[in-house]
Amino acid sequence: MVMNEANAERFLPLKPQWFHIMLTLAGGEQHGYGIMQDVLSRTAGKVRLWPATLYGSIKRLIEAELIEESDERPAPELDDARRRYYRLTALGRDVLDGECERLQELVRAIQVNQAPSKQDQHVNQDDMVTE
Amino acid sequence: MNFAWRIYRRLAEAFPHEFKLAYGTEVTQLGQDVFQDIARRHGITGLIRLIADIAIRVPIEYLAEMRGDMRYALRALIKSPGFALVAIISMGLGIGLTTNVYSSKWAFLFRYLPGAANAPNLVMPDKPVSYYYVEQFREQKSLFSGVAAFQSGIPFNVTFQGGTSSKPERVYGQLVSPDYFSVLGVQPQRGRVLSAALDRAGDSPAIVISDRFWRNRLNSSPDAVGQILRLNGQIATIVGITPKDFNGALSIYSTELYVPNTVSAALAPELGDDLLHRRNAKEFMALMCLEPGVTIDSAEAALDAITRRLDAEDSSSPTRTDKGKRVTLLPAGTRVPIPRQLRPVLFGFFFALMGLVMTLACTNLANMLIARGANRRKELAIRLAVGASRFRLIRQMMAEGILLSMLGGVAGFVLAYGLSILNSRIVPPTGVPLENDFSLDWRAAVFAFGLALICGIGFSLAPALQATKTDVIPALKEGSTLRLPGYRRFGLRNLLMVSQVAGSLMLLLITGFLVIGIRKVSSTETKFDPNTMYLLSIDPVRDGYSPEKAQTFFEKLPDRLQTAGPVRSFALAGQAPFVLKDEDDAIQLTVDDSGAPSRIEQPVIEETVGSGYFDTLSESMLAGREFEESDQRIQTASQAVASKNASLPVVSSVVTPVATPAVLPVVMNETAARRLFGNENAIGKHVRDDNQSYEVVGVVRDLKSGMGIIQSVMYLPLTSRDFARPPAGGITILVRSDAGSDALSVVRNEIASIDPNLTIFNAQSLSDYLNSSRSAIRLATQTYGGIGVFGLVLAAVGLAGVTAYAVAQRRKEIAIRTALGATRAQVLRLVLREGGALVGVGTVLGFLGAMALAKMLSALTNIFVQALSVGTNNARLLVGAPLLLAAVGLLACYIPARRSAQIDPLRALREE
Repeated sequence: MVMNEANAERFLPLKPQWFHIMLTLAGGEQHGYGIMQDVLSRTAGKVRLWPATLYGSIKRLIEAELIEESDERPAPELDDARRRYYRLTALGRDVLDGECERLQELVRAIQVNQAPSKQDQHVNQDDMVTE
Repeated sequence: MNFAWRIYRRLAEAFPHEFKLAYGTEVTQLGQDVFQDIARRHGITGLIRLIADIAIRVPIEYLAEMRGDMRYALRALIKSPGFALVAIISMGLGIGLTTNVYSSKWAFLFRYLPGAANAPNLVMPDKPVSYYYVEQFREQKSLFSGVAAFQSGIPFNVTFQGGTSSKPERVYGQLVSPDYFSVLGVQPQRGRVLSAALDRAGDSPAIVISDRFWRNRLNSSPDAVGQILRLNGQIATIVGITPKDFNGALSIYSTELYVPNTVSAALAPELGDDLLHRRNAKEFMALMCLEPGVTIDSAEAALDAITRRLDAEDSSSPTRTDKGKRVTLLPAGTRVPIPRQLRPVLFGFFFALMGLVMTLACTNLANMLIARGANRRKELAIRLAVGASRFRLIRQMMAEGILLSMLGGVAGFVLAYGLSILNSRIVPPTGVPLENDFSLDWRAAVFAFGLALICGIGFSLAPALQATKTDVIPALKEGSTLRLPGYRRFGLRNLLMVSQVAGSLMLLLITGFLVIGIRKVSSTETKFDPNTMYLLSIDPVRDGYSPEKAQTFFEKLPDRLQTAGPVRSFALAGQAPFVLKDEDDAIQLTVDDSGAPSRIEQPVIEETVGSGYFDTLSESMLAGREFEESDQRIQTASQAVASKNASLPVVSSVVTPVATPAVLPVVMNETAARRLFGNENAIGKHVRDDNQSYEVVGVVRDLKSGMGIIQSVMYLPLTSRDFARPPAGGITILVRSDAGSDALSVVRNEIASIDPNLTIFNAQSLSDYLNSSRSAIRLATQTYGGIGVFGLVLAAVGLAGVTAYAVAQRRKEIAIRTALGATRAQVLRLVLREGGALVGVGTVLGFLGAMALAKMLSALTNIFVQALSVGTNNARLLVGAPLLLAAVGLLACYIPARRSAQIDPLRALREE
């Protein structure tokens, strides 16, 4: 467990493209085109993984053993024979969990930082009412 | 859009083979899927973005594969440390030596003066001229945008105002015309440079200092500009600092100060006798900046015509009726002005030298890689069989060669750095310190690593091509025991081996010629123990003495030294003994024999020596006599106006008629006497130069400078003129003493008792002086010797490697022969025959190449002629070097060949 955590931590922080690809695969196996479309829709068109960059990242994710090619195929009616499917490995899942936790901590830190200014606003409003 | 799609597909095919195999189809498919969508949503911008994405990704993937190749190569080399070490050392030696030659010689000769913006347009005549001529040249505005004059190697005794020590320091600089810096195009890093408008005669002296002077002597003080110094006892103000690395024109001499030649003669004794206005005083180097569009040839022709006219106008000029060219212009934008016709020769020489060294190192690397590649034949065959591309395998094999070469580059750079430190410690036997800061800069680093990369790529390609050019099926069947073509065919391996042997022998012979030749001609023979002679120099005039006071001092000094305990004999001279003078300083002497049908002219070097000089050196005269004290009292130069106040230096502003005697007595060395008078007795003969007639009163043997050059030397007597205007190295006192006595301290005390404020410098024994001045020779012979040994070692290593590989390849064949009854001796002979043939052919070619190269080098420069002519006549070297190389080569073949005789035939035949 500890070794896994140590292994996972060395990949953090994740590159943005890697994060998006792994986040898509967290929902299940997917092929390249599917990953691209999923990321596009999830980010409302803000992040587009271009083909060469996508497969370059997939290649490196496989070398890092964070994802692997899946030998299981979906149902024939959903399958596209031209495509190759990928899925997260156990290590990949740990790394993704670690990255998500890191991002959540960041968000918490931002919220804490912004909180006093919101409190100040409340105080000022109270003062105005009193006056 | 179709066009854009075609580009996309082409780029997709350009990916590295492995990436294409794994993801090529997906990338193309995905591109096709999104193409229309991107075109619709984002238009042409989107398509450009799509193509840019794949175009950027292609080289990234190649780089990623190269990184992988390098990691693989590094792992492979770690497993073969011996192989790696030999390859790195041989490449390191080659790159180190080459980088050293580049940074110390090539850059020295060919790089433009740093800080001088006009360097590409600068020219100078090959001979000094008078200032009058400089001013005439300056009028030629259609030819030159500026003409400056300068004198280099000028000593100044500098005292710092408010310094902790009142003792002056001897600093060397240049006397320059005020427009010097504008002609060069130099901007100061602080303050201002000299200018004709601001620095005129009679103004308070302003000087410019070098960056080195500012850093070393003023501790980079921010208040340096405006600081006051005393130069030769006179006040001067620093007005500016030159840029870093700028060392002035003709910057072989160390230059720390730039003093305008408008200062008084009290500050710069060189300007005495109204030097600037004397038409025949050829004491200045002229520096000209060509106008845009003016070529050096047209400027030379025009200047020649002008010089001819000026010479003709002067009825007293002895050269006014001379035929032939009067002026030769040299490009002056580099540290050493080189005649144009010599440039390609020098360029070719250094290129050839560096090329030879690198070729040896690289052919050795290539040979080792070929042998290593042959051992991996089976592995390569398997990889080819399962679909690896040949190009991919070649890249992987080249990665090893490139890595070895780059590691060799690191080792080479370290070696070059060490050699540059050694180079900077050379003290050549000249009076003025030379600028010998040859530290490596970023250019040398770029050169070293660029060379390593090019050699790595170039010399690992052929072995990689050879190793991967394999028939898969036979390789899989027979594996690494596949027999390669033997020595009868012109295989790559054999060609490389022969060229390596030939190159090594050439290097060995040439360096042997130089080492033996230099050693032989450069020995300095003294007839006494050099530890019993001491040299020290003083320069009273630059310590603030008037010429009369200086004269009085030198008249008093002999009496003091005569009574000093351990001093057996002493003499004064204008330079240290056994010094090498620049051939460019030679004056033209003519034999004064009006009855002769044609006059004999010879260049001779002048040296000034006092009475008893040769006796002090234990040199008996070959004919005639040496100088006596009466010769020393001859009036020569203009009379100085005596100063009432002894502390005020003399201002020599009035030109009085020169009181020269009709004839000056001179002593000649035997070479000068022979060249001027042949076998005739030189005593009583007369010679003359432009200004003076001489009578030969004595002939002495050649006192060798130790640099391998025999010069014609004429010795002039030291006179009051020399005391009034000492040369750049001051007046040298030679003192012979009893062995083991500290005569130096005694002499120092005697001088101090006359005047404790006189600066004594260059005080050392003759032995120390000879040692340090021979340091250049020592370094040269050590370097050449090292290069020769390097070639020998490389050849041996290469031969051993190739033979070992050949034995490994022929295991089966040898096993069959042994099984059929061949003896060990027969097997050994079979293996050695191949190596022996390569050594034989290489030796013959190397010998012929060495003799041809020696002839070529002799034609280039005097320095090589004498050393090489001695060396190439040395029978022991001519026979010994090839034999040595052959012996080493055969030994290198024999050791691995012995293993062939120990092959167990049963085991070898069972191997598959």
